[in-house]
Amino acid sequence: MANVVLEVKDLTTKYITRFREDVYAVDHVSLKVEEGKSLGIAGESGCGKSTLALSLMGYYFPPLYYTSGEIIIDGKVISGMKPDDVRKSVLGTEIAYIPQAAMNALNPTRKIINFIEDVILAHDPTENKKFIYDLARASFEILGLPPEVLQKYPVELSGGMKQRTVIAVSVILRPKVLIADEPSSALDVTSQKMVIKMLRSLMDTGFIKAMIFITHELPLLYNVTDDIMVMYAGQIVEQAAAREAVFDPLHPYSKGLMGSIIVPEAGLRDVKLAAIPGVPPNLKKPPAGCRFAERCKYVRAECKVTAVPLYAVGNGRAYRCILAEQVLREAYAHGQ
Amino acid sequence: MQYSLRQAFRSGKFVTGFALFAAMLVIVIVYPLIITYPPLQIIAQGTFFPPGIYVSTYDSVNAPTTYTLNLDDAAAKRIASKLKAEDRTAMKEWLVAAGIPESEIDAADTAKLLAQWEANYDPKKQVAGMTFARSRYFQRVNTSISGLLSSEGAILATKAPDTGALQQAGTVKQTDYVNVSEIPNVRLLPLGTDNFGRDVLTELIRAAGVSLEIGLVAGIIATLIGLTLGLLAGYVGGVVDDVIVFITNLFTVIPGLVLLILISFSLGQDKRGPVTIAAVIGLTYWVWTARSVRAQVISLRNRDHVNLSKLSGHSIPHIIINDILPYIASYVIMAFILQISSAILAEASLSILGLGPRTTDVPTLGLMMNWAMIYQAHLLQKWWAYLPVLVTIAMITFSMNLMITGLDQVFNPALRD
Amino acid sequence: MKGYRKYFLNKLGWFAITFVFAFLLNFILPRLMPGDPVAAIVARQAQGMSNSSGVQAIYQQYTELFGTDKPLLEQFFLYVRNALQGNFGFSFSQYPRTVTSVVGSAIWWTVVLQFPAIIVGWIIGNMLGALAAYIRGGFDKVLMPVAIFVSNFPAFGMAIFLLVIFGVGAKWFPTSGGYGFDLIPSFTPKFLWSAIVHYQLPFWSLVLIAIGGQAIGMRSMSIYELNADYVKYSRFMGIKDRKIVGYVFRNAMLPQITGLALAIGTMVGGALIAEIVFSYPGLGTIMLSAVMGRDYPLISFATLIITIMALLANFIIEILYGFIDPRIKATQAD
Repeated sequence: MANVVLEVKDLTTKYITRFREDVYAVDHVSLKVEEGKSLGIAGESGCGKSTLALSLMGYYFPPLYYTSGEIIIDGKVISGMKPDDVRKSVLGTEIAYIPQAAMNALNPTRKIINFIEDVILAHDPTENKKFIYDLARASFEILGLPPEVLQKYPVELSGGMKQRTVIAVSVILRPKVLIADEPSSALDVTSQKMVIKMLRSLMDTGFIKAMIFITHELPLLYNVTDDIMVMYAGQIVEQAAAREAVFDPLHPYSKGLMGSIIVPEAGLRDVKLAAIPGVPPNLKKPPAGCRFAERCKYVRAECKVTAVPLYAVGNGRAYRCILAEQVLREAYAHGQ
Repeated sequence: MQYSLRQAFRSGKFVTGFALFAAMLVIVIVYPLIITYPPLQIIAQGTFFPPGIYVSTYDSVNAPTTYTLNLDDAAAKRIASKLKAEDRTAMKEWLVAAGIPESEIDAADTAKLLAQWEANYDPKKQVAGMTFARSRYFQRVNTSISGLLSSEGAILATKAPDTGALQQAGTVKQTDYVNVSEIPNVRLLPLGTDNFGRDVLTELIRAAGVSLEIGLVAGIIATLIGLTLGLLAGYVGGVVDDVIVFITNLFTVIPGLVLLILISFSLGQDKRGPVTIAAVIGLTYWVWTARSVRAQVISLRNRDHVNLSKLSGHSIPHIIINDILPYIASYVIMAFILQISSAILAEASLSILGLGPRTTDVPTLGLMMNWAMIYQAHLLQKWWAYLPVLVTIAMITFSMNLMITGLDQVFNPALRD
Repeated sequence: MKGYRKYFLNKLGWFAITFVFAFLLNFILPRLMPGDPVAAIVARQAQGMSNSSGVQAIYQQYTELFGTDKPLLEQFFLYVRNALQGNFGFSFSQYPRTVTSVVGSAIWWTVVLQFPAIIVGWIIGNMLGALAAYIRGGFDKVLMPVAIFVSNFPAFGMAIFLLVIFGVGAKWFPTSGGYGFDLIPSFTPKFLWSAIVHYQLPFWSLVLIAIGGQAIGMRSMSIYELNADYVKYSRFMGIKDRKIVGYVFRNAMLPQITGLALAIGTMVGGALIAEIVFSYPGLGTIMLSAVMGRDYPLISFATLIITIMALLANFIIEILYGFIDPRIKATQAD
């Protein structure tokens, strides 16, 4: 069995709103990513996938708070560490993050190299500038970025170049896990391709050991990741290998969501997603039973009574529905 | 638009600002209907009468009925108002200086103090080390307290028309009272009078009205100019844009007040009515509107619906009216409100400089400020002559700013916390 | 450095053009008005003045100097020639002083009062605004309404308030003038002390007004920047919060500098009126007495000087801004 790089056990985090209400946007999530593998997280906007990305960093600031559970990176438990220790010895070195809007992820008034200096000095204040420059230059060359970029301000870079620069900066300290939150959604098709190619190359070149890739663009997930996890209302509703998740989904929500992957036109994506009628439940007062019950075509009376656990069905596969695999598959075969 | 309005009224800030402004507007409109005195009529002989109720002394003396009220504290109050604590200590000081042993004087015992004073005070006596002003002060105290303890009434006398001799017509006893509502001549001056002896409140409310009119006229002119130039620059672009941007930048750096001063002064005082001043302010204060309208239009210019309209062959005016204006309407309204309040401030600044509207029948807030400054109300501590004006100006600008902030939050959701 | 030079030359050119236009406006505006303003004023003044022959003399001198009876174009060249020689004519109200000498003695009072006040107000306002954005909570809830109210207040209103409270009421500071009326301007300790004491109220009233507006602007800029994506990203890259706050405030401050450049004209105008309240011996008070004395040459020259002051201040800020914001150099270089 391969080495597990990232393991998350029962992680729960919450937002505290202005009105002091708790919103559990990540609710008892467990997952494992092995060395050399990538995990995709899918779901509608607001399902908690971006919050999961933030929560995995182990570094919380208002309005997001840690509640319970464990995050283990390469055998080291990072949940429960002091925030400043997390900042110094985990962020950037163990786990790194590429934000949703990488366009604006870089401080506009700082040259790229100065920002890299800030990042490296934040972890080791004794490093000298020459060393940092050489390191940055070497990294950029390996990743196929022109070293002149280092001397530029973010405004001087094109959108795609900015995004690739952010990726290069994120992995400058060779983190074990990289979390990419919709890294290509704001780019044109050509830049998108280059970004995806670069992300895929990161593991081959040894910059990172594992990756978590978050997107609502399902075709992308299928192409990029090994496993897929579907989230709904803060919970995992299905976990499976990419191929199975896409072509043989079990959970009715996954089924609805995956329907869109068959449709090649990107423009129809939104239409398809909206095709699951209804809206996600209000997480301030989550329903007692299955959280998808209100929108589910196959809903039964008992669905709304008690919470549904995640049933493991072997091969690392799991889904959160009271109906048996067989029942669901038959329903899908006839019901569509 | 209707929806936006309803949205605006959900914003607490907008509602507060609007209510404040509406209240002022109602007062400005309703007050002159009830109180019809001309705002600039000089009623007082003398400057800066303090706020209060003015009762005609003549009418009080000749009141149709007088009432007798036996009030225990009447005498004490009467003495207290004439003989203040500082007067008592001053009197004691004089008596000590005149050689009375300090132990024998009790400033709190009114009767004894007055007796000692009457026995010893001599206005001609020179006390060593006392300034002339100080001895004049004692003379004044002496006059004011003479007969203070007397319980006799005052005698009214009339002059006999043929001989000119005085004849007793009646007495006014210390226990005589009149009912104010029975006195024919009572004038309430809630804010006193100004340096020219005019009723400040009536003047102020009229001034607020005129200033609002000035603000409105200037605001309309400035907004129209700014809107037109902004639309032209933003939509037409090219050379037109360059020229307008050039002019706008020019007028941004040249202080608006300086232009105002130059134009107002050059106009000459005969031509400076409130409307002229408003027009001049409007002509010089359009810069910010033009700038922001242009920026908004540029961001709208290439939107899909505008392109669609262009492809459909609509004329430029048609596109501007139907596809651009509705989108910047909220913005223009905000700019308009801002223009009104800055025009009111501009009028005030001009008037303080002595370049305000030249009118003889209506005041403005700025002119009232100008008069108060010239007659040094602020140094003489006549607060009623300038403070209400300042508060009114602040209330107008504050209420308008609240409305703008509220609208801004409604129309730019990013600004909400 | 190439980028900066381009920026500098661009701004310098702009400054020169604005200057020429301001100069033109100053010449043309009064002359566009119907009639000859000088003659009208002199005529009116002469009616009430015992020394009407004196006024007539000044008027004649003025007509000769500026050729007010000649065609407009000729007048303009005369005006330019005189201006180049620093000759702007005599003051009507303070004859035989020239307007240059009247304005020259007032301008330093204004410069020394206004620019420190605007800069101090700007700095304090930005610090308070940044703090309000960073701390939020009670500090923000108290500071903001006060700042909004203060910034809505005209400068002369604030001046009167301070004057009445600290000058007339508490008697801590003198109420008018730039120095004790029994003193003659000189560099003696006594005079300097008197000037400093007289400086306080006008200075702080301008500072307070500037603080209000700046604090509001800085607060919203800071809140905007604090929510910017780079803040989150920098945090997740392990950069210390203190460093990030440094980024945020630097970036929030930059638009505030351009804002100051744009607002300086308005601020100078407001400050002139505040001077009048304190009878401060600066340009505002000069302007008032010129209006009262219908001293046309003095008004014309004073407005020109004030415009130049505002233009210069604007220019200096823009130049400094080019130094501080790296993006200027970067974008100009291409």
